[in-house]
Amino acid sequence: MLTPTKPTSQDATDDAILVVDNIVVRFETPEGPIVAVDDVSLKVKPGEFLSVIGPSGCGKSTLFNVVGGLLGHYNGKVSVAGETIAGPHQSIGMVFQEESTFPWRTVTDNVAFPLELTGMAKAQRIERARHFIALVGLDGFENRYPGELSGGMRQRVSLARTLASEPKILLMDEPFAALDEQTRLLLGDKVLQIQQQLKQTTLLITHNITEAVQMSDRIVVMTYRPGKVKRIVEIDLPRPRTSEIVGSEAFGRYVAQIWADLREEASRGMRDEEKHTLSHPKGGAS
Amino acid sequence: MTDAAAPRPAMRRTIPPQVVGLSSLVAFFLSMELLIQTGVINRFIVPPPSDIIGSFGRVIVEENVFGRFLLTLSECLIAGVLLTVVGVGGGVLMHRFKLLQQACETWVAAMASAPIVLMYPLFLVIFGRSMWTMIMMGFVAALPPVILKTLEGLSSTRKVLVNVGRSFNLTPSQQFWKILFPAALPTIFVGIRLGLIFALINIVGVEFLINFGGLGQLINELAERYDLPGTYAAICFVILVSILFFMTLEKIERWLRPFD
Amino acid sequence: MAETLRLKPAAVSAPAVSQVTVLRVVIILTLLASWELLARSGWLYRDVVPSLFAISRAIFDLLSHGEYYFHLAVTAGEIGTALLIGGLAGLAVGILLGANRYLAKAFEPYLYYLGPTPKIIFFPIMIMWFGVGPGSKIALGTLSCFFPVALSAAAGMRGIDKVLIRVGKSFRASTWQMVTKVYLPAMRHPIINGVRLGLGVALIGTLLAETKLSNKGIGFLIINAYSTFDMPRMYAMLIVLFVLSIGANALVGRLGGLDGIKRV
Repeated sequence: MLTPTKPTSQDATDDAILVVDNIVVRFETPEGPIVAVDDVSLKVKPGEFLSVIGPSGCGKSTLFNVVGGLLGHYNGKVSVAGETIAGPHQSIGMVFQEESTFPWRTVTDNVAFPLELTGMAKAQRIERARHFIALVGLDGFENRYPGELSGGMRQRVSLARTLASEPKILLMDEPFAALDEQTRLLLGDKVLQIQQQLKQTTLLITHNITEAVQMSDRIVVMTYRPGKVKRIVEIDLPRPRTSEIVGSEAFGRYVAQIWADLREEASRGMRDEEKHTLSHPKGGAS
Repeated sequence: MTDAAAPRPAMRRTIPPQVVGLSSLVAFFLSMELLIQTGVINRFIVPPPSDIIGSFGRVIVEENVFGRFLLTLSECLIAGVLLTVVGVGGGVLMHRFKLLQQACETWVAAMASAPIVLMYPLFLVIFGRSMWTMIMMGFVAALPPVILKTLEGLSSTRKVLVNVGRSFNLTPSQQFWKILFPAALPTIFVGIRLGLIFALINIVGVEFLINFGGLGQLINELAERYDLPGTYAAICFVILVSILFFMTLEKIERWLRPFD
Repeated sequence: MAETLRLKPAAVSAPAVSQVTVLRVVIILTLLASWELLARSGWLYRDVVPSLFAISRAIFDLLSHGEYYFHLAVTAGEIGTALLIGGLAGLAVGILLGANRYLAKAFEPYLYYLGPTPKIIFFPIMIMWFGVGPGSKIALGTLSCFFPVALSAAAGMRGIDKVLIRVGKSFRASTWQMVTKVYLPAMRHPIINGVRLGLGVALIGTLLAETKLSNKGIGFLIINAYSTFDMPRMYAMLIVLFVLSIGANALVGRLGGLDGIKRV
């Protein structure tokens, strides 16, 4: 059982599996440079579930791309088990916010995709794929195409596909953002159950407070542009958890505490956006 | 707008791509000129670009290019009127009577993939050597896409707009004129534009093939006279006219629908 | 929800199918009857509207003579070669333009505006370059089908859902794996559509060139029927040609799996 009993925030350097070190990301835009991520450092321990939460525009998706190795230009470094990453790392498996299943592949072939890339024999990879399909609870849908599934089911296919690559670290960017609230809660349960079962180290990027508190051991709250670490909150709730925990009093306290932090940032973001829309009447809408 | 979609660090390239495109084109013509002048390419197969440019004026004056242009254009516009009336009308009719659509849409789609213009000898028999051969050929060959686009526009009207109309208790004719038709109009315009382009292509083609009428015939005549630079110049001229025609239609279409 | 959706078409379409079939039969019979009436009335010039009997006999004659198949093979060979050359060239150019925004901005406008111009008018040039034989017909077909294939491939490449590319990269796919397992499958619909359009215009280009100047091929047969004023034979050839081209087009779509895959 992976219950973090002691507050082990920043000093647990040695046993961290993922270290994000002083990351700074700047973008050039027509209106001048923007600092999207400003000096963010994180440490994720094996088996830990860490969430990064922040308002839109806090650079959390940028951070996701940096850790996933999909963004080339940044200062600072990301290391996995002591090894600095340069590009996508095999120990990190990404689940994307957008619909990302391959529409031309069946569920099985989608999940077997990472195994196919490594050259695993067909029979073997189908068997492995079926294992992970069952894990996300999609048995019976192996030969369906994504187009025949609901949004929540497709997102589970993406999850199974990433899990099939057996990453040391599961990196997720608002994987349930496009789903309705109930599906989101149930899917959260599923992810939590799988995470606890596999003792899967997980880094979740989200803007949803409930989701973050429900699943995390620790939550990193980020500020609105430039995105900095504002606070790290330990979530000391019993495990194994399910979505039922949402009703508990302790849960409510955590949500209130994080919302207090986030509210300030979110309203800053909102004001900024309004200002931007006023000064750029056309570009702001997108 | 997500952070991941943010642009990469400032683009290094300073030469605008349009300049590169245009200068490649110029470079191509210059090297052709060079290759032909030095005899690497036989000038009786490809005349030097300077000769082609030089014969532009001659062809325009001597061959009554302006009159031919007007002839081809008017054939095209008459075909366009027929296309709009029959094509859009047919599409509306098929949309109005669903059964008709179910029965005929596949046929229309099939005809869109058939080489209709190959019927030109038949049209020549029916309409004789007159501009109606060209007009009818352009019209018939371009009809299927106009019908299909009209149908597409009408059937892809968002359901919620139709429901809005219902909630205001619109009569069927109000429903059509106030909701369906305006919503489908952009797609119908696309259809008419496609139709006009198809009509132009087929009309010029048939003029060339049967050696009668406007711009198409000009090319045929110059080729039969072995006037090489003239033929090339005429081809360039027709290409330019089609491009201008295409661009004008795009402009008109954009002008007619300022929204979206 | 899904259940009701699946049930609906079955429940509605069962009676509708027969209604549609009835309407189709009625339309066809009406057309044929009025045609025959027109043919017998003698209102039009002789043989412009031949009787159905004459047309069917002409179709039978056409298909029962080996000569037709020789010409068909010639034309099919020309179109196939044109589609192969023009299609591959179009695909290569399209992928290049789709992959590189700078090149696309520099050169794609030319393709975009040259695409919808009449190609048959290049035939005199093609004759000078490639002679009066099949070469000039193949060249015209190639020129015709290059543009739609290139433009569709470029648009298809740009239209690939960016997240699918990120998925491939996150699993550290090699360049070759990216091409074969992500890019090409993701753009197969636009490519197949481009090939269908390309087939259509290659067919028209090749056949029109044959009607203009040749001594073999379907286009030659059609123009030959015209000059001997053998109208039933001309109708027969046009009907067979239309059936063949519609069939070929549908076949390309089917082979490309356009109906087999359900997209989101």
